[in-house]
Amino acid sequence: MKPQANATWVLMLPAACVMIFVAVLPLLAVLNYSFHDIFSLDRVFWVGTDWYSMIVTTPRFWASLGRSALFSVLALAVQLPLGIGIALMLRKLGPRGASLMLMCLAIPLVVPTNMIAGLWLALIRPEGLGGQALSALHLTLDYKFNALHTWALILLVDTWHWLGLVVVMAYAGLSSIQPAYYQAAAVDSASRWAVFRWIELPHISGAMWIVLLLRLVDSFMIYTEVMTINAGGPNDATTFLSLELGEDIKAYSYGTAAARAMVDFVFVLTLVWVFVKMRQSGAPSGTRAP
Amino acid sequence: MTGTPTRAGLLRLCGCLALAAFVLLPLVQAIVLSFTATLGAEGVPQGSIGLHNYINILRTPDLRASIGNSVTYVLLNVAFCLIAGLPAAYGLARFGFVGDRHFLLFLLAFRVTPPVVLSLPIFILFARVGLVNSPVGIALVHCVFNLPIAIWILESFIAAIPRSFDEMAFVDGHSRTSFFVRFLIPAIAPGIAVAAFFCFIFSWVEVVFARILTVTAGKPITQAISALFTFRTDWGLVMAMTVFSLIPGVLMIFLVRNHIARGFVIRT
Repeated sequence: MKPQANATWVLMLPAACVMIFVAVLPLLAVLNYSFHDIFSLDRVFWVGTDWYSMIVTTPRFWASLGRSALFSVLALAVQLPLGIGIALMLRKLGPRGASLMLMCLAIPLVVPTNMIAGLWLALIRPEGLGGQALSALHLTLDYKFNALHTWALILLVDTWHWLGLVVVMAYAGLSSIQPAYYQAAAVDSASRWAVFRWIELPHISGAMWIVLLLRLVDSFMIYTEVMTINAGGPNDATTFLSLELGEDIKAYSYGTAAARAMVDFVFVLTLVWVFVKMRQSGAPSGTRAP
Repeated sequence: MTGTPTRAGLLRLCGCLALAAFVLLPLVQAIVLSFTATLGAEGVPQGSIGLHNYINILRTPDLRASIGNSVTYVLLNVAFCLIAGLPAAYGLARFGFVGDRHFLLFLLAFRVTPPVVLSLPIFILFARVGLVNSPVGIALVHCVFNLPIAIWILESFIAAIPRSFDEMAFVDGHSRTSFFVRFLIPAIAPGIAVAAFFCFIFSWVEVVFARILTVTAGKPITQAISALFTFRTDWGLVMAMTVFSLIPGVLMIFLVRNHIARGFVIRT
């Protein structure tokens, strides 16, 4: 049990000051702008909640929200099971092979965000390795004009970028399992599914909650990759919440942009709140990620 | 098991190869292109293989400057995060206090806030205090997501050291500052390295804040790469620059390969 000492806040001060300056003040500014019509920084008019009612009554906003939610669901549905499956496979490889594969999978995490999509576009150009392979197989990837192809490419690129995170976290969780658990399961001749459900899953659940939150929030607000691949097209088919917000910022409509940013922030905050509540009630307190 | 190729083992091998191909293919393409003259120039016919793209980087002042800019703000950011993060991590690891859980929740909320939400007021605020086009500005803004990470990682390393370690130093008459510098920092040196690694990487790859805060000067590598896209993009040069931007990250992955999972720890 840690001793109670409210004077500890002194130690929080440097961090708190930085966060207030770069995060809290800007957020309060967004909140303030969202109630104003801003022609220029010295011609500002109070409009109350006009921007908010305009946003929530626009069908395009709900369509974007739906697309963002669908993309998050798809990204999680692909990346979580795939990542956990790969981590389970790597456990069988032995430490050296697994370490090599993990390092390899971590490389996309250190690629500058604006080049993630660029790398893939270079690969699938007609002259690129991927483009040549596709044409040899008589397949076409029309990501500029076929909405389904755009979605598939964005999902593929996002999976390439973040799969390593899921695998690394799942692998770290699996590594904490004592061999005795597996021996006990073998004695009981437990099925593969039972071993996963009752031994492996509890050990990775702490880490998987974190991955779930990070992936949920990041995929929900995905921006740079989508912008690079097709800028929300074709015909708005990949216009997500963040792209609508980006459009407002680029058009210098500060008021609407601010209101939209607040709406998006509330979505993100809700996800965080649900996450914290579920962890406090659901996950046993001992399952902290390594 | 070893030596006898079983069906399961063969399947695993194929799985690993397919996975490695999936992950490495775009990178292989980038490396190949980075050594290819995609546009061609005087004395360098189109399609020829060589180092000319890398030589072009060194010859282009904007590209050279962008490397310096990126390194400057990333290192500054690491310094800010460690200086502000260490006391906070120590406090959270050792004491309970009114609002400690709220402080952690506050960190978490901003760690996951998308940059695009905050980018506009940050630009206006920073323009007012003269932090636009300056590496200090970007280094400060990147604290939004890096300071929580630094605090979480350092906290987990400090919490692993028994409390008696602190008490012994205090009994010997060391002040808190002296204890921090002479005892705590050496004891959690690996934790500091891991935290620095993650702050470095996340600051290095970030683009939204780095773009909005560099209007006329101080452009980072990511922006220099974006600026290379034109109607006649020199893919070779783009990829040479991209490959270049990957080097620090790949080197550091190798150095902290056993601690990568730590960068994604979240405390609530």
